[in-house]
Amino acid sequence: MSKNIRSALIYSALTAGMLFWLFPLLMALMNSFKTNGELLVNVMSWPVEFHTDNYLRTWETMSFLRSLGNNILLCAVSVSLIVFCSALAGWKLSRTKTRLSKFILGLFVFSMLIPFSAVMIPLYRVVLVLGIKNSLFGLGLVYAGMGVSMAVFLYHGFVKGIPFEMEEAAAIDGCGTIQAFLRVVLPLLKPITATIVITNVLWIWNDFLLPLVVISKRQHYTLLLSTNTLFGQYSSDWTAILSALIMAAVPVTVFYAVFQKRILKGIADGAMKG
Amino acid sequence: MKSKRRQNQILLLCVLPALSVYLVFKLFPAVSGIYYAMTDWNGINREFGFVGFSNFIEVFSDRNFWRSVAFTFRYVAVVTLVANAAALLLAVAIESRRRMKGLFRTIYYMPNMISMVIGGYMWMFIFTRVVYYLADDWGMKFLDVSWIGNPSYAFVAIVVVSMWGSVGYLMIIYMAALQGISPQLREAAQLDGAGSFAVFRRIVFPLIRHAITICVFWTLNSAFQVFDVIYVLTGGGPGRATQSVALNIYEEAFTGNVRFGYATTKSTVLFVIVLLVTLVQLRLMRRKEHEM
Repeated sequence: MSKNIRSALIYSALTAGMLFWLFPLLMALMNSFKTNGELLVNVMSWPVEFHTDNYLRTWETMSFLRSLGNNILLCAVSVSLIVFCSALAGWKLSRTKTRLSKFILGLFVFSMLIPFSAVMIPLYRVVLVLGIKNSLFGLGLVYAGMGVSMAVFLYHGFVKGIPFEMEEAAAIDGCGTIQAFLRVVLPLLKPITATIVITNVLWIWNDFLLPLVVISKRQHYTLLLSTNTLFGQYSSDWTAILSALIMAAVPVTVFYAVFQKRILKGIADGAMKG
Repeated sequence: MKSKRRQNQILLLCVLPALSVYLVFKLFPAVSGIYYAMTDWNGINREFGFVGFSNFIEVFSDRNFWRSVAFTFRYVAVVTLVANAAALLLAVAIESRRRMKGLFRTIYYMPNMISMVIGGYMWMFIFTRVVYYLADDWGMKFLDVSWIGNPSYAFVAIVVVSMWGSVGYLMIIYMAALQGISPQLREAAQLDGAGSFAVFRRIVFPLIRHAITICVFWTLNSAFQVFDVIYVLTGGGPGRATQSVALNIYEEAFTGNVRFGYATTKSTVLFVIVLLVTLVQLRLMRRKEHEM
């Protein structure tokens, strides 16, 4: 087989695969602009007219803005907690060489093997006892607790690779530990922080089971929870459901479009070091 | 040099915030789970008693649970194999292209950005509506089956959607590993007369072994806990034919039975299974890595 034919075959296979990959998204987008009658006649056709009624309807019923706000709040609380706590801990763990530091690091690393489903129910009890069921801040704390071990591990590894001199200089200048951390160390950690922020935002934003268990009040619903209830409400009214799905997918898609390079790099880095 | 004691004090201070959330929300639940697994705690009564190993004994004869375990193993085996093979194939194919690399990578990774809940419902639309139009109007007769209602087809549907949601992630990792291989090495082998398959087997494959270990570990771990896709697509049905262990546990605890203690027993069993499988996998694959 000549090189050109082979290359053409690979390109067409990759393009066909790509279309298959986009197929559900395109079908959802296309049909979300149809009336119910139009959808019943033909799902494969382009909408005759772009009806926005579906979107207006579901915007209200899923309380889109409130759910989006809840998601943003949840992500902001948990990711900032994860970054701050883990950077501080990972840095000091890396700089202190005692038996205690080894033990604590081991404690963090050990838990990375524990699957979520194994802690889910006892965790639910902790949530009940602490009275943070239906609290987004509380849920943020839970995510922090589950996310820190990986982040501490990544920070610990990263700090090993940066020189000690600047911290020493800061110490001589009379900086306290926390000050040295905030002014000198934290800025140096930027590359790994970017990776940690990206992986954790994606995880928490798209996580379903934990909010499903912890949040039961409508006003605290995240985007996924609102979308999920909508499915029960509209049962087979696909035009409404599809418009809701598109709306729920828009925020991440925008995030992806803007930060694509960083996201892909962060994903690869996070996985290879973990 | 500061004394060890002073160093440890500062260390504890710095580790305290991370350690406290970690202890409360991860380590304590994990450890106390072992205790709850031996109680008759349910979601209704405030008090509960210690029942020893009777939950564990019950698990052994719980047919629904073992059916869900068998289903999960089947799912894990298929997804781990097919998703990694597909991702590696894609990574190699895309990485060796000169044009459209960025576009391919962007699109194939895209489903990973979207939650499997949203993606799952979109696929639900495909499997309950679109396939029948394709079968009737576009002549794709093989699509004319009950994708959600028939256990065997539902399994295929679940695998397809899981692949759609995870292959891109694995592909990114494989691509990063492939980029780490120096082009000179490949060229040298090609000059020596090695065909492209030989180059892949002798040069590329050994050098990306580490990435394969990571990806297989990741797929095993996440596939054993599969929940979202199945919850959305079939809810474990028809009957319990596509119920994964995570779904079985969820059902036991949060819908109907509210037997929290017993559900914890099941999750402890799941934990042990996952731990054993992943430890064996890491051992085997790491040893292979070192043999290189």
